[in-house]
Amino acid sequence: METQKTGRERKVSEVSRDQRDVKHKSGGAPSGDGPTLGMKIQDLSAFYGSFKAVTDVSMDIQANKVTALIGPSGCGKSTYIRCLNRMHEVIPGARAEGSVMLGEQDIYAKSADPVNIRRRVGMVFQKPNPFSKSIYENVVWGAKINGYKGDLDELVERSLKQAALWEEVKDRLKESGHGLSGGQQQRLCIARTLAVEPEVILMDEPASALDPVSTQKIEDTMDQLKQSYTVVIVTHNMQQAARISDYSGFFYIENMGDPGRLWEFDETEKMFSNPERKETEDYVTGRFG
Amino acid sequence: MPRETFQQELDGLISDLLDLGGEVEASLENMVKAMEERDADVARRELGVDIRYKTRGMDIERECMILQARQAPVARDLRLLYTVQSVTNHLVRSGTLTEHICQAITETADSERDEDLEISLVEMARTARNVFNEGLDVFENRDLERARDLQAKDDKVDLLYSEAMNLIANPPGEGVGAPEWRMRAALIVHYLERISDHGVDIGGSTVFLVTGQRIEDAMQQYLDRNVDGA
Repeated sequence: METQKTGRERKVSEVSRDQRDVKHKSGGAPSGDGPTLGMKIQDLSAFYGSFKAVTDVSMDIQANKVTALIGPSGCGKSTYIRCLNRMHEVIPGARAEGSVMLGEQDIYAKSADPVNIRRRVGMVFQKPNPFSKSIYENVVWGAKINGYKGDLDELVERSLKQAALWEEVKDRLKESGHGLSGGQQQRLCIARTLAVEPEVILMDEPASALDPVSTQKIEDTMDQLKQSYTVVIVTHNMQQAARISDYSGFFYIENMGDPGRLWEFDETEKMFSNPERKETEDYVTGRFG
Repeated sequence: MPRETFQQELDGLISDLLDLGGEVEASLENMVKAMEERDADVARRELGVDIRYKTRGMDIERECMILQARQAPVARDLRLLYTVQSVTNHLVRSGTLTEHICQAITETADSERDEDLEISLVEMARTARNVFNEGLDVFENRDLERARDLQAKDDKVDLLYSEAMNLIANPPGEGVGAPEWRMRAALIVHYLERISDHGVDIGGSTVFLVTGQRIEDAMQQYLDRNVDGA
């Protein structure tokens, strides 16, 4: 017989959940050796030559949470997310101003090594882009380049399990990554990102090219990933943002030709039930964009 | 504007809700008239409305569920569907209570009355009707100013409730009013108090619809802002 929880029992459950949260924060790094970090962004602006694409974004990205970035096309979401691991500057003429702190480290400090930053802040792209190598080699490639000295078999199994792909590929690790379905390829790319043990994972529309079942698997994966990593995702799928994220940022361009701005940033629950600004409400309810 | 079809469906839903509200208001009007004029025939017209209102309410709730499934509403659209379901429940419940009162009026048409108590009941019926109508007006016009005053108007109903119950418990003399009528009067007093509460709750639901907050929190902010702006 189904019984209702009493108020007292509910409170006990909440305490247990809080304790779990604390545990994740204090010991949830991928290999269990250090806390997961959040990011603190202040007055970040991004340029393509003289064109300012994003202006004055300040945002605290919480550790062990999923932060979703939403907004109309061309409002600077992807540009912004690429600034968070110094990928933006690889485009000729592109640059960023402002401060991006990963824990205590300013990733734009002169002493910061962009390659090391990109290892610590990994990225998964819209289109799955596995290497023309075996599934196994795809996973260990980045780790080997970064001088990984541990057990590679263990790393492959752990990374594929975290990406919820292990059960589907464990018997064909030597086969080409290109032989996988689109959804599996994307999870392989996630596993490849996880194998270099980042602290933050950036995802730029990771499920927009996938069918609903594959999308669901990626979303379930993200829910697991946030136990150990900080996740930032750009998505055009409003319901996806509502389903998977803890915090949401709405990017918006007020007038044509202006740079994109962070228009509203709040807990996802608030953004999708009672946003502060009219433009946010119009966007999430599908009244424009 | 994108999502035009969805907007039309939401507008249609509100229209259906207000139609139902208008019918419940008409039933309440007849109930008050029957009490004022001791007219059992007017009360009799309202017997059977309960099942009609419940059916209408179920139709509206079904439409809300379909829209939620098909359109995945968020923010103000989500609050609107939630509010429509809540207000529908208040309307249907008020319609049911109105029928119960009309049933009591018809069944005690020939019973001897306690005139003081009857005067109290009629005043309470008018006031409860006014609070209910006001709640529906607040919803139709999204009028937060009037939502603020609803609670004060309901306080008057609560006062009349106490007076009427006192008269029922402490009749002015032996044999004043037939026992079956006094018993029904106690039920009518209770039902009227509930109808007024439903009106207040419709106003509260409207505050949530507009502000996304519980009425108590929203009203406090509203009052603070007015004090600051004064």
